[in-house]
Amino acid sequence: MSSTVRMPPPDVWGVGRVVVAGEMVPWPVSAADIDAEIRSQTTSLRRLGVREGDVVVICSKLSEAIHAFPLESAANALGARYSSTDATEFDAFRTAAMIEQVSPSVVIGVNREVVTGLRTLGRELHDVFAPVAVVATVDDDAHDALAAAGLAPRRWIKLGPTSAFECEARAGAHFDGSRWRVDAGEDGGLAISVLVPALTACEGLGLGLTGVVDPARCACGSDDPRVRLGA
Amino acid sequence: MTGTRYFEPDAETMPRPELEKLQEDKLLGDLLPWAAKRSPLLQDAWARAGITIDDVTTIDDFREKVPFVDKDAIRRFRDGNRDRYGGLLCVDPLRPGGPFTAVFSTSGTTGDPTLVPSVTSGPSILTREFWEMGCRPGDHFVEMLFTYRGPGIHHTIRGIGATPVFVDHSPFEFANVYRLSRELRPTGWYTMSGPLILALEQMAPAMGIDPVDMFASYKGVIYAGEPLGARGRALLESWGVDFFVHTGVADVGAATECREHDGCHIWEDIAFVEVLDPEGDQPVADGERGELVGTTLVDKIAPLVRYRSDDLVRVTRERCACGRTHARMWPLGRKSDEVLVDGVSVLPGDVWPAIEAVPETSAALFQVIRPRRELDVLRLRVGYGDEGARGTSDLRTRVVESVHAAVGVRPDVELVPNDVLLRQGPPHKIPRVAKQ
Repeated sequence: MSSTVRMPPPDVWGVGRVVVAGEMVPWPVSAADIDAEIRSQTTSLRRLGVREGDVVVICSKLSEAIHAFPLESAANALGARYSSTDATEFDAFRTAAMIEQVSPSVVIGVNREVVTGLRTLGRELHDVFAPVAVVATVDDDAHDALAAAGLAPRRWIKLGPTSAFECEARAGAHFDGSRWRVDAGEDGGLAISVLVPALTACEGLGLGLTGVVDPARCACGSDDPRVRLGA
Repeated sequence: MTGTRYFEPDAETMPRPELEKLQEDKLLGDLLPWAAKRSPLLQDAWARAGITIDDVTTIDDFREKVPFVDKDAIRRFRDGNRDRYGGLLCVDPLRPGGPFTAVFSTSGTTGDPTLVPSVTSGPSILTREFWEMGCRPGDHFVEMLFTYRGPGIHHTIRGIGATPVFVDHSPFEFANVYRLSRELRPTGWYTMSGPLILALEQMAPAMGIDPVDMFASYKGVIYAGEPLGARGRALLESWGVDFFVHTGVADVGAATECREHDGCHIWEDIAFVEVLDPEGDQPVADGERGELVGTTLVDKIAPLVRYRSDDLVRVTRERCACGRTHARMWPLGRKSDEVLVDGVSVLPGDVWPAIEAVPETSAALFQVIRPRRELDVLRLRVGYGDEGARGTSDLRTRVVESVHAAVGVRPDVELVPNDVLLRQGPPHKIPRVAKQ
């Protein structure tokens, strides 16, 4: 195979998206951006309890690749493996099947579509998710549904191009304060800025979310700041 | 090198005697001894067949002695032995930092997906296809897909030096894709599917999308999911799309058309394929219809050996006009989808053109009702967009006559709105056979 064409990887790792108030904003990221996000999310997954030898189910859509890929790689960085399922009504059966087949310690990304899909299949949310130590939801509908089923979900919040996760204290979602700054305006509107070099400029990007930012040390021991929505 | 048509010229145009020698070396000298020593499923099947690795020293031995496995055998082993990997795994799943990093799954249209342990870094052999389509370093490449198969396509797009643009495999993405296509001028798209073609045709006017404009920058669009009917083909052509049919190869690889559009190339340096009598174990002649049986030459994590795919295909090993020497394949349908009606064999693909020919059912959303293989009456569930000016009774009569004329069997037809069938499938296809 000596004549194989060997291409240098492109400068842009991929073009993902950030959704602000329902509007799609194309978001190119570099390999360096992704590597940095993997490091941030390795901390997040450790905080969620992922350990070596675990399996993490990551439920997402391909349009969320710049958020999901760092989580996948972070799982590997911790010596865990991951499984992927689509965060859609149709593919909800797969999320349930993978929980049964690979016994994950953590499931990330349950949304209202997955909840609807499971209900359509006649599945009880408690039966599906009770065997999983930590389930992270992405919207209020899914969060409320799992809570109503007697579960104690955590939140996965997309802050523009990065992710924030609740720790066990459930006192806000931690984000990597060494790379990102989140400011709350007088009306509670949240905006994010990047503190390190990044391919796509991000200075005061409105997130279409309201809440508060808590910079104080968390009960979990982390100094990473937290976002609490809706406050 | 960017002027060449081939991504891996030596491998893609290797003379067949060299290719077959390479296969023999990989199969007998590497893959088979590895798998025979480690795969619990293989060890079980081989013990039942009364053979050991010492009995398989030639390709003829392989063809004559090595037992088949199929999806049911894997599931039986999985359930009978509480082995989540169906006896396929050849590496220690508990070894930290071990060779596989993820566990994906098959499409699972039966509701019971099969696990696929995987290594997730590095491009796949689809680099050859993307290069053949004309995509080059610096290009943008739309990846319109699901997540459950993992990031392999993303790595492959980057493997040719292009940049992936991530979108969901959903008709609700068309507005975003239109915008991204106009702004980024991508050259490649993976994948288009039948339901998306149907949706684009229906939704484009209301969404202000001009499909010709949307596809103007693309040098190639991969089509996958299920067979492409004449109407879908005509729509893509009317939008100026050069599309490349793409299909699986017995779960040990994939096959894609080249620019000659004369069959899908099977990369035989990674897969050893046989085409056998669907009811037996003898090979069929080159170009004749048979069941595809695949053996991986490269997967040492969960290798499939003589895997009966249930796929009916035609395969030729004649050199393609593109200069490639690897086999070419034409998918025909699934063996388990076939019904015999008064002794007449009917596959969904036989019915397809007849349903497409009726304007109200031209989306070709239909299912063959197959409670068992042999039937007294062919029963079809057919989707319609609108019932037509003369109502469903008239529509049913026209569908019945169209199918009767095509396959020689008069069917019972149940008409349902298209949406009823679309809801039954994953985004890229619907189940073409239903038990009831």
